[in-house]
This record gives sequence, structure tokens and C-alpha cells, in this order.
Amino acid sequence: MNPINTIQYFYSIILLSLAIFGILIYKKLNTPFKILSISTVAAFLVNIAATLCVKRFHTNAPALHVEGLSLFIFYSLIYYYLFTNKIIKTIVITTVTIVSVFAVVNALILQPFLTVFPTNVNLPTFAILTILPLLLFRQMLLSPLKTPLLDQGAFWYNAAILFSSTTQFLIIGLSNYQARTHRFQAYLFYLWYVILFIFAALVALALFKAGKEKENYAS
Amino acid sequence: MQADELELMILSTTALFVVVIGFIIYFVVLYRNRQLKHKQEQEALQSAFNQELLKTQIEIQEQTLTYISNEIHDNITQVLSFVKLNLGLVNSETETNKKKITESRDLVSQSINDLRNLSKSLSFEHINQLGLVKTIEIETDRINNSGLLNVTLKIDGEIYPLGEQCELVLFRIFQEALNNTLKYSKAKLFKINLQYSAELFNLTLEDDGIGFLTGPNVKSDGLGLRNMKNRAALIGADANIDSVPGKGCRIKVILNPLKLRLYADGAHQDRFS
Repeated sequence: MNPINTIQYFYSIILLSLAIFGILIYKKLNTPFKILSISTVAAFLVNIAATLCVKRFHTNAPALHVEGLSLFIFYSLIYYYLFTNKIIKTIVITTVTIVSVFAVVNALILQPFLTVFPTNVNLPTFAILTILPLLLFRQMLLSPLKTPLLDQGAFWYNAAILFSSTTQFLIIGLSNYQARTHRFQAYLFYLWYVILFIFAALVALALFKAGKEKENYAS
Repeated sequence: MQADELELMILSTTALFVVVIGFIIYFVVLYRNRQLKHKQEQEALQSAFNQELLKTQIEIQEQTLTYISNEIHDNITQVLSFVKLNLGLVNSETETNKKKITESRDLVSQSINDLRNLSKSLSFEHINQLGLVKTIEIETDRINNSGLLNVTLKIDGEIYPLGEQCELVLFRIFQEALNNTLKYSKAKLFKINLQYSAELFNLTLEDDGIGFLTGPNVKSDGLGLRNMKNRAALIGADANIDSVPGKGCRIKVILNPLKLRLYADGAHQDRFS
């Protein structure tokens, strides 16, 4: 087994562990973190589906179409519950609806889901998922809770999303460069997985802290 | 060329990681500051609420005391005066009866005096008119005359007015302490010391009674003791209560005249009417 396959298998095990952990503490969680727990199961299933797609279609593009939209909906819904401002909540729901419709149109017409990666959807969703954590950070600053910040699930979740979405722009930029020059494929692969592992660790921490906390922005 | 590009990639990746992590660390620091500020604001609100509550309690108490004082003065003492007058009109031929009537008249007169004094000590207006020192002197005489306790009063320094509100609060603290001594302490001596200086005003109340346990781990602070501390806090003073079983009790109220003026001139927001 080559190192690339080893890392991929290891990542699958991490996702499975995260999904099991989410299910185990599901009852202790409140609505936004219940959604996060479901999203970890979805992420694991999509990861399996991606492997199957590669075997069947020689590309993981179909799985990425599903993953891009489904995770965006999950993550946005979590923000919907974490935000207290009604206007922001409405904006989140409207954005999710518009992006969902656009993602379907994109998968059927603009970037056919069997062959092309859904970059048209990914770019705006990453941008939205960069703005939402900043808005939540603002809300947290305006109405701080008594619980220490590092014990708040919302903080770790927010950090995970901010880290993931901002680094995605770098990944996209480097991927474009790699596609043109066919260089640094290994570097990009390792960087991609480093980001995924950090993201998984932050999500695990968010679930762990959310399972323990007594007060949060959604309660 | 390829090495340079790889270096650039690593640099840009590192830079992005540093920026994101730096932002998160900055947020953590900022949040902690906000949390601290928020906590302070909450505490200030709670403190203001407690002050308001205390002021209301004291106002209600003062109203009740004034009502009782008026009732004693306008009703009971009047009735007793009428009884005394009637007793004076009773004609009796036997010496024994005359003596009994005279004794009864004296007892009624004493009761009227005692009730008038009690009425004065309860009355807010009376305390304001006479001032703290004079009112304490009257109270001291009243207790000494009753024979319940030997009360001594010592005044150090040049007397200056502390303001109506402050003097009333200090007098109520004094009354509470005296009442506790009479009720629980089995004391024979009660010392009052008023110290007037430019920097500080001290009211020290001391008895030689049975005392009680005090300290942070002792839950012996009754309502009366807590009231004294709360009342003192209301005028910007500190009330320290020291007691040891078998060695009496000492209550010291320390007032900073600078703080005092804020309350006494009536301009301070925490002043009660």
C-alpha cells in the first residue's frame, strides 16, 4: 500500500470515528451540534461514495457535487441556530435556498456532475462560509457568555469552518496552478489532507465541548 | 526554478496558516477582555440593584417607625395623660388609697416619659433635628435610667455634621447594636465611642457580653448584623464586627468623609429620600 492510499484510509477511519463519536453523544447535544454530528456521518458516507465513484467513473466529481452542497447546507443550518439576530438568520436561510437551486442547475447544466468538479458552487460557498464565522465571532464579542471561550463548542466549530474555508481558496489556487503545470501534486495532496485532519480535529473538539457545555448561543 | 516555486508555495501556505491562527488567537484575547468587561458590568448592575433594594427596605422601615412613633406620641401618650388627669381627680378618704393613687400617677408619668422618649428615638424627624450626638446622648440616658445596662458615651475630636441621611443610618446601626446587646448578650456595660477627625469618622460600639463566633467560615451573621453591614455600605462606610465567645462584641463603623459627602449632600445617585 502506497503512502497516499494509507493517508486516505487513515482519513476514512478518522471520519468514521468522528461519526461514531457524534452519534454516541448525540443526545447530549443541542440542535446546532446535533446537525454537526449528522454532518460528520454525511461526510463519512460521501467519502466512501467518492471512493466508489473513482472506481466506477474514474472521477470523484459526482461525490464532490453532493458533498459541496450537502455540507454547505449542514454548516449553514448550524449557523442558523447559532445566530441570535433574526435578520442574519433570514439571510442564512435565503442564501442556502439560492445556493441549493444554483447547485442543482450547475450540476445539470453548467458543470455536469459526472465529469466536472463543482467549482462554480464551491467558490461562493467557501466565501459564504468565510463570512459566517466572522459574523458569529462578532456576535460572540457583542454578547459574551460566562463559559470560558475555549470550553464553548461554538468557538471550536467556528474556528474549524473559518480555517477550512479560508484555506480552501489556497487549495483552489494551487490546484489551478497544478492543473496547468502538473507540478507539486504531492505537495498539494499532503497539504489538502493536513487541512482535512486539522478540520476533523477541530470538529471533534467542538462536539466534545458542546456535549459538556451548559449554556450556549442556541440555548 | 522549481525549488523557488515550491518555496513560494510553502511560504504562502505558512503565511495563510499564520494569519488564520493569529486571528483566532487575537479573537480569544479580545473575547476574554469582553467577558471581563461584561462581568464587571453585570456586577455593577447587580450592585446597583441591591442598593436600590436596600434603599427601599430602609425607606419602608423608616415609614413604619415614623408611623409607630406618631401613634405613640399622638395616641397612647394622650390616653395615658388622660388617665393621669383622671387619677388626679379621684377623691379618696383613706391614706392607703391616696398613696396608691399617687404611686399610680407617678407610674403613668414615667410611662408617658418613657413612651415619649421611645417615640423620639423612632422618629426620623427628631433625629434630624437633634443630630446624631444629641440623639445618642438621649438614648444613652434612657437606657441608663432604665437600669437595664450601663451605657457610656465618649466623643473624640470636634463634632461636625455628617448629613441627615448618614446620621440617620448611623443612628439605626447604633440602635440595632444596642437592641442586640439588650436581647442576646447578657452584657452589663455598653461603650459608645464617636471619633471625629478630618480624615475619618468612627463609630465604635462595644459590649462585655457573652459574644459569638465570627469569621468567613461561620454562618452566624444574623439578619441584624447583615443589616448593619448593608446600611453602612449604603452610606459608603465599612462595618466591622468582631466577637469572640465570652469576650463580648465590638462593632466599628468607619466612614471616609470624602465618600460621606457624596451621600450627605443629596447629590449622589444612591442617596435615599
